[in-house]
Amino acid sequence: MKKQNNGFKIGCIALFLGLTIYYLFPTVQWNLEQRHMASMTEAERIQYETDNIAKLQRLRERSLSLGLDLQGGMYVTLEVGTPQLVLDIAGEFADEYLEDVIRVARDRSFDQRTNFIDEFVNEFQSRDADAMLSRYFRSDAENITRRSTNSEIASFLRRQETAAVERAIEIIRSRVDRFGVTEPSILQQGSNRIVVELPGVDDEERVRDLLRGTARLEFRLTPETEEINAAKQAIVNFFSTYEPDEDEEDPIPNLLEIFDLRGTNQYSFGYAAGRDSAAVNRILEREEIRNLIPRNMTVLWGANPFAQDNGIDLYEMIAVRSQVELTGDVISEARVAFYPTTNAPEVSMTMDSEGARRWARITGANIGRPVAIVLDGLVYSYPTVRNQINNGRSSISGMGGLRASEDLVNILMSGALPAPLEIIEERTVGASLGEASIRAGLYSVMFGLGVVAIFMIVYYRTGGGIANLALMLNIIFILGILAGFQATLTLPGIAGIVLTIGMAVDANVLIFDRIREEMRGGKTLRAAIDNGYANAMSAIIDANVTTFFVAVILYSFGVGPIKGFAVTLMAGIVASLFSAIVITRVIIDYLTREKTAIVSFG
Amino acid sequence: MRWFESPSFDFIKAHNIAYFFSGTLIVISIVAIFTMGLNYGIDFRGGQEFVFEFQEPVNVVEMRSELTEPLGSVPEIKLFGSDREILLRVDTEEDVTRTRELILANFAAMYPGNEVTVQKTDLVGPRFAEDLRRGALYSIIFALAVVFIYIFIRFKGWWFSAGAIAALAHDVLIVLGIFTIMGEFAPFDVSINQALIAAFLTIVGYSLNDTVVVFDRIRENSIIYKTMNFTDMINKSLNDTLSRTVVTSVTTLFVVSVLFIFGGEVLKGFAFALVIGVILGTYSSLFVASALVVELQKRAIAKAKS
Repeated sequence: MKKQNNGFKIGCIALFLGLTIYYLFPTVQWNLEQRHMASMTEAERIQYETDNIAKLQRLRERSLSLGLDLQGGMYVTLEVGTPQLVLDIAGEFADEYLEDVIRVARDRSFDQRTNFIDEFVNEFQSRDADAMLSRYFRSDAENITRRSTNSEIASFLRRQETAAVERAIEIIRSRVDRFGVTEPSILQQGSNRIVVELPGVDDEERVRDLLRGTARLEFRLTPETEEINAAKQAIVNFFSTYEPDEDEEDPIPNLLEIFDLRGTNQYSFGYAAGRDSAAVNRILEREEIRNLIPRNMTVLWGANPFAQDNGIDLYEMIAVRSQVELTGDVISEARVAFYPTTNAPEVSMTMDSEGARRWARITGANIGRPVAIVLDGLVYSYPTVRNQINNGRSSISGMGGLRASEDLVNILMSGALPAPLEIIEERTVGASLGEASIRAGLYSVMFGLGVVAIFMIVYYRTGGGIANLALMLNIIFILGILAGFQATLTLPGIAGIVLTIGMAVDANVLIFDRIREEMRGGKTLRAAIDNGYANAMSAIIDANVTTFFVAVILYSFGVGPIKGFAVTLMAGIVASLFSAIVITRVIIDYLTREKTAIVSFG
Repeated sequence: MRWFESPSFDFIKAHNIAYFFSGTLIVISIVAIFTMGLNYGIDFRGGQEFVFEFQEPVNVVEMRSELTEPLGSVPEIKLFGSDREILLRVDTEEDVTRTRELILANFAAMYPGNEVTVQKTDLVGPRFAEDLRRGALYSIIFALAVVFIYIFIRFKGWWFSAGAIAALAHDVLIVLGIFTIMGEFAPFDVSINQALIAAFLTIVGYSLNDTVVVFDRIRENSIIYKTMNFTDMINKSLNDTLSRTVVTSVTTLFVVSVLFIFGGEVLKGFAFALVIGVILGTYSSLFVASALVVELQKRAIAKAKS
C-alpha cells in the first residue's frame, strides 16, 4: 500500500522536475550562447548572429526574462486623454457650452478618480435634464443620429474610448518596432492606460517624444495682413488704457515689442523669448484678449527660434486661420530627404489621391499667399505658394537634425494617435545599476541559502540535510514555474526567492519538531514520522493558504516589479509545499525502509 | 541540538507587561505618524527622483542648498549606498528631461572634473501617485479582511480572527512608526513606497504564519484536553510550538538580514522593514495574539452568560 503511494509521489516528483528542466533549458542555453558570443570579436559576432538568428530568437523568447530593474531600460505608463477624444468626436458640433461641460467633468473625474465619461454624462444632464447629447454626437457607422438617447450616446462614447486605446496601442507598437527595441512589452492597464516596457533603452527624451507624439499634422491658410494688424493694434490699445489690479503683476513688460507693430514680417503676430512664452500665452488666454482676436484667427507659436538676441532664442507667433484645410490623414508616404541647397534634412510627404486633389485646389486658389504647416500645434513653416501643386507633395523642414526627421517619419507613417497621451509614470534604470542589483540579488540568495542550510544541519542533523536538498530543488522549481508562466524576474522577485528560502524550511521545521515530539512520547521512529507528517499538515496548510491569499492580493493591486514579487511568492509557496511535504517524505521513507534504520532529527 | 525541549512559560500571565510594551510602542508610532506625517516616497507622493553616481565623493548638505534656488524648491538628497552615489527627489511640474539637464548643468558647475552619470530616473504624476496610494491602502485592508474571514472559517471563533488581525495591525503600525521616526536620520531610503507595501503584506503573511500555527495547536489541544481551562490550554499550545516558532523566526531572520546586508541599495528599506517585521511578528504571535484571544473569548462567554 505504502509502496504504491510512494511510487505515485516519485512519479509526481519526476514529472515536476522534468517540466522544470524543460522550461529552464532555453534559459541555460541562452546564457551559454551569450557567454559564447561575448568571447567573439565584433565581426564574428554579427556573422554568428545572422547565421543563427532563428535559433537565437527562439531561445531569447523562451528564456526567463529579467525585469527592467535588473537589465536596465525604460518603463512608461501613458494615459489616453479621453476628454480631448470626446471633444474631437463632437468635431464641428462642439461649442463653448460643450467645452465647459467637458472641462468640469474632467476636473471632477481627476479629483474623485471616477470615470470621465460617466462624469461627462452626469454633468451634461444635471445642467439641463432635457438636453440631448445627440446635439453634439453623430456617427453613421455606429447608427448614432439626432434621435439617439443619452444612454446610447454614452455607450457609443465608451466604445470609442476602448477603440481609441486599442488603436493607440497598435500605433505605439508600430512606432516602437521601428525604433528597434528588442522584446518591448505594450499592455493595456485599466480602461484608459497603457504600460510600455522598453528594455535596454536609455534615450528617454527621444522615446518620450515618440510615444507621445500625436503627429497632428495640419495645413492651414493665413489671414489677410489687415486683419492681423487690426487684431494686434486692438490688443496694444487695450493694454495702453489697462489698469492692473493691486496684487496683479504687470502683465505687459514691453508689449509693443512683443506684438511687433512695426511689422518686420507681415504674417508674424509678434515674438518673444522662449522663457517668456508661458507669460505671453497667459495674456492671449485672457477673456478680454480672446475677444479681440477674430474667431476665424488663431495664434500659434513657431516650432523653431527665428532669431537670437544676445544669445536668447526668440520665437515667432504666427496668425493662422482657425479652420484646418487638410490634415495628416491624407499623407500616404513620408520619408527623409535633404534640401538641395543646404543639404539640411527635411521630411518629404506624398498625399493620397483625395488629398492630392484637395491640395491642388488649395494651392491653386492661394497662389502668392502662405500656407502654414502645423505639427502638434506648432508652426514649422509657412511657405508662400508659388504654383498650384498637382502631385500631392509637400515637405516639413526645420526638424533640427536627421534623427528628429527620422522619428517624425516614423510617427507620420504609424498614423496619428486618436487622442493625446499623457505620461503619468516613467521609470528608467541604467544598465549598470541593474547589473549591481543582479549581483546583490545573487549574493543574497547564496548567502541566505548557505546560512539556512548550515543551521538546518546543525539543528536537525539528517533531517536538516534532507530539508536542504528539498530547499535546493525548491529554488529550481520556482525558477521553472516562473519560466513556464513566462513571468519576469525582478529585483523584488529575487527578494521573494530569498524570503521563500526562510519560509520554505518552516514546513519542515513544523514536521521535524512534531516528529521529535512524537518520539519523546515513546513512539517508534516509523510511527513518529507517520504521525509527525500527519499532525503537522493542518498547520502547514492553514499557514500557507493564508499567505497565498496575501500574495494574490498583492498581485492584483501591485504594479510593475511588485507584481514580480507577488508571483515569486506564490510560486515559492506552491514549490515549497511540494518539496517540503512530498520530496522530504519520499527521501525519509527510503532511508527508513529497514525497520532498524536510524534517521536523526537532532 | 534542541531549543526549548519542554518549556513551560506562562505567556498569558506576561500579557500585562506585553500590553504595556506594545501599547507604548503603538502610542509612540501613532504620535510620530500624526506629528511628523508619513514619509511618502515618490510612488505615493509623485514628483521626480534620480540616482546619480559621481566619480568622487560629494557633500550632500552643500548640494541641497546649492540646488534649492535653480530647482525652485528644496530637493530631498540622500546618499545612496556609497558617498559617491546620491538619491535626489524633487517636487516639480517641470519636464523630467529639463529637470535632469538643469541638475546636471548645476553639478558640472559645482563639481568641475567630477564626472556624473544618471543611474535611475523616476517620474510619477500626482494623479498616478494617488492611484498607487489608494491601491496600497485597499490591498492592506483587503488582505486583513481576507485573513479575518479565513481564520473565522477555519477556527470557528471570531475571537481568533480578532486576535490575529489585532496582532497584524500591531506589527504594521509599529513598523510604520519606526519608519516615520527613522525618516529623519536613517542612512538609507526609508520612504514609504510600493516595495514597502509589499514588505508590509509579507510581514502580514509571515506574522500570520506564526499565529496560525499556534491557533492550530490550540484547536488540536482543545480536542485532546477537554477539561483544561482555556488560559492553560493556550499556554500549553504556545509552549508546544515554541521551539518551532523560534527556529523558523531564526532562519527567516537570517535570510532577511542577509537581504538587508547584501541585497543592494535598492532593497535596503524593503529588507529593513522585513527584519523589524519578523521580530515583531514573532513577538506579537507569542504575546499579543493569544492573550487577546483569551481575553476576547472570556468576554464573549461572560456576555453570553449574562
